Parts: sequence; structure tokens; C-alpha cells
Amino acid sequence: MDRATIRSRLVEIVGSDGVLDDPEELLVYEYDASDEVFAGHHRPDFAVLPRTAEQVSAVVRLANEFGIPVVPRGAGTGLAGGALALRGGIVVVVTRMNRILEVNEQDGYAIVEPGVINLELTQALQPRGYFFAPDPASQRACTIGGNVGNNSGGPHCLKYGVTTNHILGLEVVLPDGERIWTGGPVPETPGVDLTGVLVGSEGTLGIVTKVMVRLTRLPEAVSVLLAAFPNIESASHATSAIIAAGMLPAALEMMDQLTIKAVEDAFHAGYPREAGAVLLVELDGLQEIVAENTSRVAELCRQHGAWEVRVARTKEERDLLWLGRKSAFGAMGRLAPNYYLVDTTVPRTKLPATMRRVEELSREYRLSIANVFHAGDGNLHPLVLFDRQRPGEVERVLECTTEILRYCVDAGGTLSGEHGIGFEKRDYMTLVFTTEDLCAMAGLKRSFDPRELFNPEKVLPTGFRCGEVAALRQQAIAQRLGLEYV
Amino acid sequence: MTGTTRLAPGVAMERLAELGAPHDPRAYRVDGLEPLVALAPETPEAVAEALAVCAAAGLVVIPWGGGRQMGLGNLPERYDVALDVRSLSAITHYEPDDLTIAVQAGRSIASLSSELAAHGQMLPIEAADPERVTIGGLVATGIGCPRRFGYGSLRDLIIGITVALPDGTLARGGGIVVKNVSGYDMMRLHFGALGSLGVIIQANFKVLPAPEAQRTLLLSFRESDQSAAAALTLRTSQLAPTALVVLAPPVAKRLADLERWVLAARCEGPEGAVERQVERLRASVETASGESVVLDDRKTLAFWSSVQGELEATPFDRELRVRIGELPSRLGELAAQLERRYGSALRSLVLDSGSGLAYVTVSGEPVELRAFWGELRELGRHATLLGAPIEVKAGEDVFGRHPEGIPVMRRLKETFDPERILNRGRFIAHL
Repeated sequence: MDRATIRSRLVEIVGSDGVLDDPEELLVYEYDASDEVFAGHHRPDFAVLPRTAEQVSAVVRLANEFGIPVVPRGAGTGLAGGALALRGGIVVVVTRMNRILEVNEQDGYAIVEPGVINLELTQALQPRGYFFAPDPASQRACTIGGNVGNNSGGPHCLKYGVTTNHILGLEVVLPDGERIWTGGPVPETPGVDLTGVLVGSEGTLGIVTKVMVRLTRLPEAVSVLLAAFPNIESASHATSAIIAAGMLPAALEMMDQLTIKAVEDAFHAGYPREAGAVLLVELDGLQEIVAENTSRVAELCRQHGAWEVRVARTKEERDLLWLGRKSAFGAMGRLAPNYYLVDTTVPRTKLPATMRRVEELSREYRLSIANVFHAGDGNLHPLVLFDRQRPGEVERVLECTTEILRYCVDAGGTLSGEHGIGFEKRDYMTLVFTTEDLCAMAGLKRSFDPRELFNPEKVLPTGFRCGEVAALRQQAIAQRLGLEYV
Repeated sequence: MTGTTRLAPGVAMERLAELGAPHDPRAYRVDGLEPLVALAPETPEAVAEALAVCAAAGLVVIPWGGGRQMGLGNLPERYDVALDVRSLSAITHYEPDDLTIAVQAGRSIASLSSELAAHGQMLPIEAADPERVTIGGLVATGIGCPRRFGYGSLRDLIIGITVALPDGTLARGGGIVVKNVSGYDMMRLHFGALGSLGVIIQANFKVLPAPEAQRTLLLSFRESDQSAAAALTLRTSQLAPTALVVLAPPVAKRLADLERWVLAARCEGPEGAVERQVERLRASVETASGESVVLDDRKTLAFWSSVQGELEATPFDRELRVRIGELPSRLGELAAQLERRYGSALRSLVLDSGSGLAYVTVSGEPVELRAFWGELRELGRHATLLGAPIEVKAGEDVFGRHPEGIPVMRRLKETFDPERILNRGRFIAHL
């Protein structure tokens, strides 16, 4: 079928204002928030903006009928190239599906469309005494659908867990166009936990059309404190001591000297400029517990070398302390024209050694690296600063970041803590997983999407062939069993 | 696939004998069926190879942990091999400062908990018989406890998994870090899948600091709707109890020696804070309450362990146990309905008001029990038969009304277990 016919079929489904195929209109859908230098531009054939789940289903059925790849997309804030149309096809953009359909405080859930902005959901819930706990740094722009796709994290994951812990059910359009509900407002729905499987599957198994989220009660009390340390090492030890003391802060964030300076220059958050590292700790919960733990945390920080500990007394002061952390990426523009944001996780006890290695690599590759990260759960974000105009610099950045990832994986960590694998990191998957592991994952993908039309070429690495691997394995087993393999 | 291997059952049995010490098959009955052979491989590789042998010979396997929850699942279509994983019981990784642990499937909950407790940590799980219940069993059945209200369930805490697949491979997912979005969530694929897609070898968890103190506040009420309303008040307050259940009169008598309907709220945290929390909880529902009792640390543990005994899957001779999922706000109505309908046949009724689950146990003759299941399976959001006599389970799907997505689940089964050697017929839709 020719392009014009497909276009007219799409227009029948979503209306003429919901189908884009002009190269200029498509420009914005050629990339996401991942670095173009590394991920490149990939133009889809169509961008479609449905308003209802029925329309999504119809678009997917059409795509399936003609073997056209489908790529789901939210706000495009993803950092791993997960929303890129690598094989062209139809990008299904859910931003027009942005209604909060139901809020049920008594039973602790809300049903929202996938295009609802993360922060807007929390803002809608706060007056009712609740919030949506996952809070990625991009929460002012990112969609709940995108959060579900990437199992997004954020500073408050330490206590509250990642997105998957807050998703009760999903309405999803599967690659054959069928629309189903998975999970539900109460636990232990019989059968395979399809909700759990779909969250974090990066749009490769289906398109989410409604999300049932868990509401979290606003804590009775909140306390935020900032501690200034001579270096990252001492701040890391304080972090471990806080956890070892049996406390689970809502957030435990660290910034290094480079970041502190950039933030202070840009936003004047009041961080001590001479600090080698700053720890930002948020405690929440029952009043009496928060009060007690705030003093304990302050004491532990001092014991581990903090020369200044500041506890915010008002909401304004708390917000000011958080301002620096939340604006850190934006402040990097003061340091270099470009930065590459690495997202990796190591066991928390490996933090000091990992930070030393990052510092070594910074010297080795002659690249400045700023660090701002979720110290409480070992989720690192080295920001490798560079200038893409300088010859050879991009290659150096790639080599350096590969070394960082390799080190973290060897230290027992993994490739991504919260941004996902997407296109950007798929070929690193072999650093973490064996062929057997990856073939099992490929089996999961195939069970949902046998024709491999859904967000193709993401998550799993290129060029590994499960059929061949299975045959080799069967041969080996046959040999061990003394049988002829036919 | 480009080739196949076929193995005569006799040869397969010989190979299996090499892979694990044979055990007495009579100890591995499931719903009255006895396997031809029971074996206990000692390494993950041996489990995987045993599965490959069974797949090549078409032998049907039932994985076996403590055997404590074998009441869950449809009647097996066939049962050739019991695969006992209790020899795999090592803690393969534990770094208390990272709050993470990796434990093999066959380790008992008691032994895992004492290891964690030695470091002031815990997994917020409960078992009526922790010496017997294994971590693999909990992951495979997905059976939770009321503490999920405060801490999340094991599903929320699992961060990595290793399974043995029928094609003879060991496949991992996740890892040992608490934030990880590298690849598909294989942990949740297998969590609660009743070992139908693979045999769980190891599970990794994030663990939690153990609370310094715990107390349980018991409040009694004349009517079921008063207790349910009080539960809802506490559920939506900021007072943060970690578990909330309502016990019907016969259970309240048995477990707490209290008459009437009893609301139990568990409080955990620093000593002084827990004391104050109990007082604030009591004050917030005082007007509706008749009497109140506070259980100390030791009694709290014993109480919740016995509550768990009312929730677990177990085979019964003359009783039926069903778990019904229903919105917390509707549990009171459901309880009243069950009380009216079953009267003196109601042996146990526990409402997990924190999460929205009702566990009902009724007694009767098999023919009555069959009718009861027919009624109960239509209630609530979903209903699962956790225990019943064999003749009641025959021909039934114990997972009740099917959720949407069964075709996907069927394809997953076809992909991971094409020969249907794992728990054949026992999972939802008789997969």
C-alpha cells in the first residue's frame, strides 16, 4: 500500500490534525532528549497524535496490517534514544491523551491517561493530601506514560521505590491492536504479572493508554538538611553511616565541587562554595520520627567530617536547598557547551572507589566530569563535559563513558538506574547479561510482538541470534545425554 | 529451532538419577498425585539440566520448596518428577551496608530472617511456618502478607532473579542494585507465575532496616461495618501503620481471645515513636471502639504469624479457602455479605484492609463447598481458591474469573515451556 493511502487511513482514525508527515513537522520527532551526537536523527514516516485508546488501537491495527513499525512516544524527554524511529514507521505520540480520569483517595489510586505530566499529577493530588511518588528530574515535562515505559526513578526512590512500585494497573494496546487491562486496584490479580512486565519495557511490548497509579499519602512531617564535606569520600561514608543506623531517608543526594560551583554561579542556592561535596538529606514520616532522625543524621554527618550542617526551618528554605539539586543539569551550560549524562548504578558501598575511578578517567581522557547523584541508592550521574566542535572530543567522550560503564558493571552495578537502555545502550547489554539471559528477554519480547514491529531495535543488542544459540545448546545437551541431534 | 532431541523415559530416569539424590516420592504428593521420582539437585546447573532431560523426554515436573503452599494451583494434569530445590539454600551475596541480599530459592524464611536480623535488617514477610516456607515458594506463589501496606510486598522488593528454563539454560534478570532499568523485568515475569515459566533458582532483594520496636493495637467492634469503617479511617490517615487487618469473630477468638470483630493495626519504628503512634491510632477511632489491647514486640510477632496461617494456601479436607480482591472501601460490605450468607459455616474471615483482600474459609461437605466456590468466585475484583478438597478442585480453574491478557500468558508459556513440562495444567487457564 502506498504512503498516501496509509496517510488517508490514519486521517480517518485520528483526524487530519492528528497526522503529521511533512518533513518540517516531523523534525521534532526525529530525536528525543538523548544526545544527538550519539543517537543521531531518525525520521519517522508519520507522527500520529491520538486522543483516545480506541484510536491508538486502530492505528496499531493498521500498522500491523501493513507491517509498519510503531514507536510510542510521550514528551520526548527520554535520555537513551528510546523514542527514536530507527526503522521509520509511525510514531504514536500520546501527549493529547492528558486527562486525569479518576482519583479515589479512599482506595488509594488514580486513573490517568499516559500524556499527563508527572508534576501535574502530583499538583492535582497534593490538595487532597496525596502525591505520586516517582519524581524524575524531568518531572515538569515528562509524561506518566513515559515514566511507565522507562520505569523512571528520581531522588525519592530511596524510600519510595521506582515507578513499578507505584503502578497498579495498565490499559495497554498490544502489538496486534488488542486492548487489555492488566493488574488492578487491589493486589494479587491472578495470572502472569503483565503490569510488572510492561513497566520498564520501553514501549517495545505495547502502548499504554491508561495508567492506574498508586497514591501515596503526604507525610505528616518533612525535614531537609544540607551537610558540607571536605570531599566525596567523607560524604560517602556519612551516607553509609546513615543507612547503617537503620534510617531510610526519603532522599539522599550528593553533589561534587564542580557541580556546587556551577549551581552557585547560576542559581545562588546558598551552597557552601568551598565544600568538596554536599549531601542533601530529606527525611519524612511521622513528626516524632522525623524530628529524632534529623538530629541523628546531623550528628552522623558531623562525625564523618561535615563542617557545616544546615537544617531548613521553613518550606521556603527546603525549596531553596532543593533548588540547587534540581537545577544542576541546567547549570552545566556554564562549564561547557555540551555534556554527556551517564546513568549507571553501583552498590552503594562501591561509591567511593567508583568516584575515584571516575576522577582517574577524567584525568586520563582530559575531560572534566561533574558529579551529581543519588548517593542513597548508588545511582551515579557523571556528567562528562565537552565541546562537540573540537575534533576528536566526541570519540574521547564515548571511550571515557564506556570505561565508566564497564567499571560500574564490574563493581556489581548495572548500565542504567533510571534512564533506560533504549537505542543508546543496547549494545552494552552484553556487558551485564549472558547470551542465555538475553535470549530469555528476547523470548519475552517475541511473546508480545512476534513480528518485531514495536519500537524495534531497542533494549536488546544487535546481532545476537537466539535460534542459533538454542540449537547449539540443544546439541550440547544431546551430546551430554549421548543422543543424536537431528 | 533447528533440531530436537527425544529421550526415552527410561533413559531419562537414569540421567535424572545422576543429577540429584533420589528422595521418597511419597513425600511429594500434590492433590493426591504422587510423582514417579523425586530428586534434589545440588547445583543450579543440575536443576537446569534436569529440566532439559525432562523436556526431551516429555516428563512433567513440579518444582518443590517447603511444600507448604501446595494447596494453590489447579489439579496437575500429570506429574512425573518432583524437583526439590531445598539443597539450593545459600545466601550467595549479602552486603548489609548496601541493603541488598541474594538468596537461593530453597532457603527457609526462618533462616533468611535470622541472618538479616543479625544485621538489624529484615524482609517484611510473614509465614505461619517460617521453618518450612522457602523464599522460592514465596516468589513463585506471590503470596503476600498484610505488612505490604507499610512496606510493599516481595514483588516491590525483588531486584534480581535467576531461573532454570526447560531448554536447559540458566537465565538472569535484574541484578543486585536497587535501581536498575537494564532490560526487561524478568523478576516480575516469574513472580507469582507458580513456576510455570521456569524454576526459580535465586532471588535478589533490597532489604529494609528492622524496626527498633513494634506493637499491635487491637480494637474490638460490635459490627463488621464499624470495624471496616475504622480500618478505612486509619488507612487514609497519616499515622502510617504497617499492617491493618480486620478479623471476624471466630478468628478473633482463636487468635487474640477477643470477642466480636477486631481491627488489628501494626506499628513499627523507634521505641518512643511507636508508643505515641499507638496512642494516636487509638484516639483517632476511639468513639467507635469497645475495648482495646496492645500487644508488645514478642506478642506482635506471634499474632501476625498466626494471622498469616489464615491467609496461606493449603490443602483442606472439609474446608474451602478463597482470597477475594476487593477495594478497601468495599471490604466491610463484602464481610457483612459473607457473614449473612455463610453464618456458622464461616470458619475464618480476615480482611486485609490495608491492601484490599479478603480471605474467607468456609466448611461443608464437598458438594456444598463446590457450590460455595461457585458463589465466591464471582465476588470482588478477583477471587482465587487457595485450598479445597481435591473433588472440589476437579474441573475448576482455581484462579477464578480470568483477567484480560490470557492470550499473552499463553504465548509466554509456549515460548518458555513449549513442551509444557512445568506444573502442567496447574497455573491459570490450565496452562
